[in-house]
Amino acid sequence: MGELIRLEGIVKSFEDTVVLNGIDLSVDENEFVTLLGPSGCGKTTTLRIIAGFEKPDEGRVYFEGKDITDMPANQRPVNTVFQNYALFPHMTVGENIAFSLRVKNRPESEIKKKVANALKLVNLKGFENRRIDRLSGGQQQRIAMARAIVNEPRVLLLDEPLGALDLKLRQEMEYELVRLKKELGITFIYITHDQEEALTMSDKVVVMNEGYIQQEGTPQQIYDEPVNAFVADFIGDSNILSGQMVDEKVVRIDGIDYPCIDGREEGFPPRRRVDVVIRPEDIDIVPYGEGLWNGTIISKLFIGVHYEMLVQSEHGKVEWLLQNYDQHDVGEKIGMYVDPENIQIMHKPKSEAEHAIELDL
Amino acid sequence: MIARKSYSIPFIIWIFAGTIIPLASIAYYGFTNREGNFTFDNIMAMFRGDHLQALGLSLLLAFISTLICLMLAFPMAMVLRESKYGKQGFLIFVIILPMWMNFLLRTMAWQVLLERQGVINALITAVGLPRQEMMNTPGAIVLGMVYDFLPFMILPIYNTVSKIDNHLIEAAYDLGATKSKVYTKVILPLSVPGIVSGITMVFIPALTTFVISNMLGGGKINLIGNIIEQEFTVNSNWYLGSGLSLVMMVFIILSMLMLQKFDKTGGANLI
Amino acid sequence: MKKVLGRIYILIIMLFLYLPIFALIVLSFNESKSMSVWGGFSLRWYQELFRSRIMMGAIANTFSIAILAALIATIVGTMAVLGMAAMKPRAQNVLLGLNNIPMLNADIVTGIALMLFFLMVRAPRGYMTILFSHATFCIPYVILSVRPRVNKNTDRLFEAALDLGASERYAFRKIVLPELRPGIMSGFLLSFTMSVDDFIITYFTRGAGINTISTLIYSEVKVGIRPSLFALSTIIFVVALVVLLTVNYRRDKAEKIRSAKPAL
Repeated sequence: MGELIRLEGIVKSFEDTVVLNGIDLSVDENEFVTLLGPSGCGKTTTLRIIAGFEKPDEGRVYFEGKDITDMPANQRPVNTVFQNYALFPHMTVGENIAFSLRVKNRPESEIKKKVANALKLVNLKGFENRRIDRLSGGQQQRIAMARAIVNEPRVLLLDEPLGALDLKLRQEMEYELVRLKKELGITFIYITHDQEEALTMSDKVVVMNEGYIQQEGTPQQIYDEPVNAFVADFIGDSNILSGQMVDEKVVRIDGIDYPCIDGREEGFPPRRRVDVVIRPEDIDIVPYGEGLWNGTIISKLFIGVHYEMLVQSEHGKVEWLLQNYDQHDVGEKIGMYVDPENIQIMHKPKSEAEHAIELDL
Repeated sequence: MIARKSYSIPFIIWIFAGTIIPLASIAYYGFTNREGNFTFDNIMAMFRGDHLQALGLSLLLAFISTLICLMLAFPMAMVLRESKYGKQGFLIFVIILPMWMNFLLRTMAWQVLLERQGVINALITAVGLPRQEMMNTPGAIVLGMVYDFLPFMILPIYNTVSKIDNHLIEAAYDLGATKSKVYTKVILPLSVPGIVSGITMVFIPALTTFVISNMLGGGKINLIGNIIEQEFTVNSNWYLGSGLSLVMMVFIILSMLMLQKFDKTGGANLI
Repeated sequence: MKKVLGRIYILIIMLFLYLPIFALIVLSFNESKSMSVWGGFSLRWYQELFRSRIMMGAIANTFSIAILAALIATIVGTMAVLGMAAMKPRAQNVLLGLNNIPMLNADIVTGIALMLFFLMVRAPRGYMTILFSHATFCIPYVILSVRPRVNKNTDRLFEAALDLGASERYAFRKIVLPELRPGIMSGFLLSFTMSVDDFIITYFTRGAGINTISTLIYSEVKVGIRPSLFALSTIIFVVALVVLLTVNYRRDKAEKIRSAKPAL
């Protein structure tokens, strides 16, 4: 699998707001890459730059090593599934899908075959003559997919394509997308603010915030080893605690000195202030006094499979979030234990201010 | 981007040639005398007795007509709002249809009805009552104004009241409001934008008309519109006509500003 | 009780709106020239109307001016909207403010302003000056009806077309224009009716030898009402009725088709 798309030092501002702060990104052939982040993080602008709708102020875009920064959108070998589908309302389903083929003046017999084929791929066989405004949201979504893939693009860009669908349909479509990608064998660049979508479908997740890439890696890496509090907070529930390295491979969390597996070699020398992430499901409940921390359960919620509890620690003023299959009562005093492997020590998040400091160094 | 800025150029030229320069020329003539010198005379001429009287009468008749239109239109809009969908479409159709008739013909219709030898007098005398003099009175002019402009009051008010969410009214009742309170505290304030645009669409043409007063006033009742029209068409005194127009425009702008302020306060001081 | 009151109220308003028109229609078939005496049924006023060369000329002027003015206004207005879409919000607001002037201005002011302008540039007043003036007051209505159609959604559809390989010209023709079409159509129709209906601005900007229906009615009424005007009223009323009925019927039908098959 070779590299297909590379972004180098992309900077983009609108009016006076900087939207992208130097984005470097590499996408491999046949990869499912998800750009994940809250609204306003720059993910959509990144996508629009790849599609050719926006020109970066600085930086270059490469496709198979060729600089395509100045290539207009209608010549790029990429197609987009738009956020609200952008289906042409005055055309039938068939005409929508055939659009890119008609632009290229393909013979009608070929168009007919390809449209039918695309509809089959998205499980809407025989929908050619339907009107767009008669379709449900899920069907429109599929038509948008069919329209984008009928011309066999090398890369499919998907801009929050499931955002407008309800939960059940969304989960169904996640499977569909993965299946479709397998059948087509092309590269997907997917945009979402929904961490679950990102984790279930992607080969690679790129977490973005405030115009910076915060972290990129496999879903597993992103979940298990978030590099900073922003990523940890954005992906799943977590306890993010302020801590400080007190000795080589010893971190003080919530008033307790705790031996961990990260030290000077990983970039955490003694006295460095750090963020510590502990996932709520990694905290074991043990009898009072037998764990590392002691606390009192102050609230409890049953959320389907497990209980979620808030525990007020006795040591500092920290409230811990716990997830556990066993039921404990509010007011109960408990001990808490965490395996050293499950403690993730991180640098403080990368923000604009800090980025500037880094550059100064 | 779909287009280039340059597409707007014909429009910008047109705005200059058709609107800005013509309006500027009114201002130019208004402050100039026949010798081409600067003067306030054309403006001050508004304070001459006959002109002032015409302006006063215009304001009065326009005010009365607007008020009558408003009082007729608001209940109509409410009735429309509450009628069933199919019937609603029909009623709006019925209100719009007369607007498609040339308004000179509509005004002429009242002339036909009100004339000394007209339809109403024919009916009256047929039952043995004395002939009435209805033409050439301020009343006839007001009647013509109300008739011509009523749809322009009904439609904007209907447009806003029809958009008032029924839940708001239900909520008001739920919170213990009486029927009259629902009207004064919920429906009326919410329909202010429609009322304001209705008033604009009735008051300004009524204030500036010369056609209705000419046809139903028999040329005996002069409104400010008639004075200005005569300066341009009969006396060819564009200087005086422009000066008087400028003063009239001041009244138009003042009334619009008042209405706008009213719209912004959301009609808080309506009650 | 409330319903009955509502119905009575509607009835009163309807009588007020339609009795005068009804009177004109009845009198148009009156053999007698008198407005108060019924002289028997006759079509002589219709004959007189159709024989009048002046009236036929005025009708031709009215409609040719209306069509041309609406056409010019539609083209200039639509282009203006597209151009504005590429401008910064500040510039757009300035242009929209200027655009509002002819709509908010009293017709008499617009009329005399244009008249003074034509005098100043020594344009002989006649057909062309009326046409220019009508286009002037129609453009704002076109802009108001087309502008809402040029929005984020149109932008996105345009981008989608480019994304699918269309050239800008192709995307404009096949995607943007069909999107704008309803606004362009209603702008054209609005302009057309405004132009046909106008009297005041035409009155000030026409020359001596030219008449539209409105100005002809005005000059005839000043001399004395002729029953052929009743015939004209009847014809205009019937035409308006037929046109509005067809438009409404077609819209209702379209709506019925749309709602007949609910979204799946």
